[in-house]
Formats: sequence, structure tokens, C-alpha cells
Amino acid sequence: MKDIIRIKSLISADVEALLNQQIKKEAQSSSAYLSMASWCDRNGFDNSAEYFFKQSDEEREHQLKIYKYVLDMGGTAISPEVTNVKIEYNSFREVFEEALDQEISVTQSIKNIAARCHKEHDYVTVEFLNWFFKEQREEEYKARRAVELFDLIGEEGTGRWEIDKHVGKINYNGQAGE
Amino acid sequence: MQNSILEISVQLTEVFSTSKGAVYQSDKESCWYIDFAGKVACFDYRNILKLKKAIYGINIEEILMDSSKSADVEIVFICACDHCYVLTVLEIIAFKELLEGTFVMLNLNHIIQDRLYRISA
Repeated sequence: MKDIIRIKSLISADVEALLNQQIKKEAQSSSAYLSMASWCDRNGFDNSAEYFFKQSDEEREHQLKIYKYVLDMGGTAISPEVTNVKIEYNSFREVFEEALDQEISVTQSIKNIAARCHKEHDYVTVEFLNWFFKEQREEEYKARRAVELFDLIGEEGTGRWEIDKHVGKINYNGQAGE
Repeated sequence: MQNSILEISVQLTEVFSTSKGAVYQSDKESCWYIDFAGKVACFDYRNILKLKKAIYGINIEEILMDSSKSADVEIVFICACDHCYVLTVLEIIAFKELLEGTFVMLNLNHIIQDRLYRISA
């Protein structure tokens, strides 16, 4: 008997479901960053708004990357519904703390998918996910550094203005190696 | 009728069957014939997955606990597929059992193909 399902699709139904979940997660991240950009812009933190706009675009790119991978492998990519996007934040610091939380959760969920792939010996998807692991190094570094700025500079006086100025300069040089 | 089923079955491999129905695979046509609820319907790769999702997604407990006067039937309609099922609760349970068994067997076939033929080939 022919293995029709395998002939039609490289990835298993479980991995496909996990990747679709990740597509949704990336879409939610993208929307959350957009919301953060809006809050920062409204409150006068222009550099941070710019930083979040860029982050939002990046998350969208990640979403599409997984989306196209699922399709290329013969699966069904599902365009996600994004709901419950936050509009208001209590403070400037809270915005960055949430951004870091979000990145940690993305890393965790990609780790989860990789664990499942290893279990199934799906090294093709593992190899695909490696790009994301590398990307998460940078994403987490940047988000962590932004929160760190709050402790280093302090929010008193012109502190927040100074933090905003430095957020735009956060850069990960990736010296830990390619 | 009996003869026509037998004629088809020559090229079909039984994947899984219960007392309520059966699923056969046609290697030539790359599809599955599902004999259930009084008819034999053909499903290709995309449609059988949609059917699986639709049947697995029915909340049987909710239907059983539902005390409203509406009939206990569920209409299963698969987008871009010619077939539609109107099932009672018992039929849904039986259909789910049939599909679960089918996918276990298909998975088993996948493992066998992987381990026995693809690696040794």
C-alpha cells in the first residue's frame, strides 16, 4: 500500500499543526509590536516607536517564512486570526518588559517544535528552524538590552528621554559567532 | 450493487474497518474510499484531512448534554468536496472510531514504509 500522505507532504500532521501555531504566534507578536509602536509614538518616544515598527515588520517576515515553508512542504498553511491586541500600557518600562517576555515565549515555542521534530526524526524541519534559533539570539539580546537600559540610565529627570535615544542604537553584532 | 462493490475492491486495499463501515485505499487513484452511512464516497488527500478535522472537531459530549428540542443530527459538509454527511450522535461516534483507526493504520503504513523500504532501498 502506497504511503499517500507522505507522498503528498514532507511534514507530519503534528509538525504542521505546530508550525501553524507558530505562524499565529508570529502574527500576534507582529501585532503586539505594532501596538507598542503606537503607544510609544503617542507618548513621545519616537525612537522606540521606530524600533517597534521595525520589530513588527521582522515578526511578519518570520510569519511568512514559516507560512511558505509549510506550503512548500505540501502542508496547509493557515492564515491566522489575531485577537486581543493590547492598546494601553502602564509605563514605558512595561512596554519593553512585555517585548522581552514575548521574545522568550517565541524562543520557547520554537524549541518545542524542534523537540517534536527530533522525536519524529524530521531533520528537514529542524534545519529550517535553525535559522529561527539564530534569529532569537538577536531578538532576545535586543529586548534584554532595552530593559537593561532602564536600570542603567534610570527613569528620573530626563532619563526616559535618554533611554528612548539609546533604544534606537541597540545593535547585536553577533560576535558569539556565525 | 454487490457486484459493483466487489469489482472496485479488486484494486482497493482495506485500510481499516469496523462493524459500521470501512475505509479502502486506491493506490492508482491516490485516494480513499469510505464506506459509511450507506454510501461509498471517494476522498483525496486534502479532503480526507478536512473530513478528519471536521469529525474530530465535533463536540460529542456537548451534543449528548444538549437538552434543547433540536434534532441530534450533525451535518458534515466538506468545502470543495462532493460529499456531505448527515449523522446522528451514534453515527458520529462510529465515524470517529473508523477514522481514528484509519489514521492509525496509515501512520503504521508510513512507519513500515520508512523503516523497511526507504532505508533498505
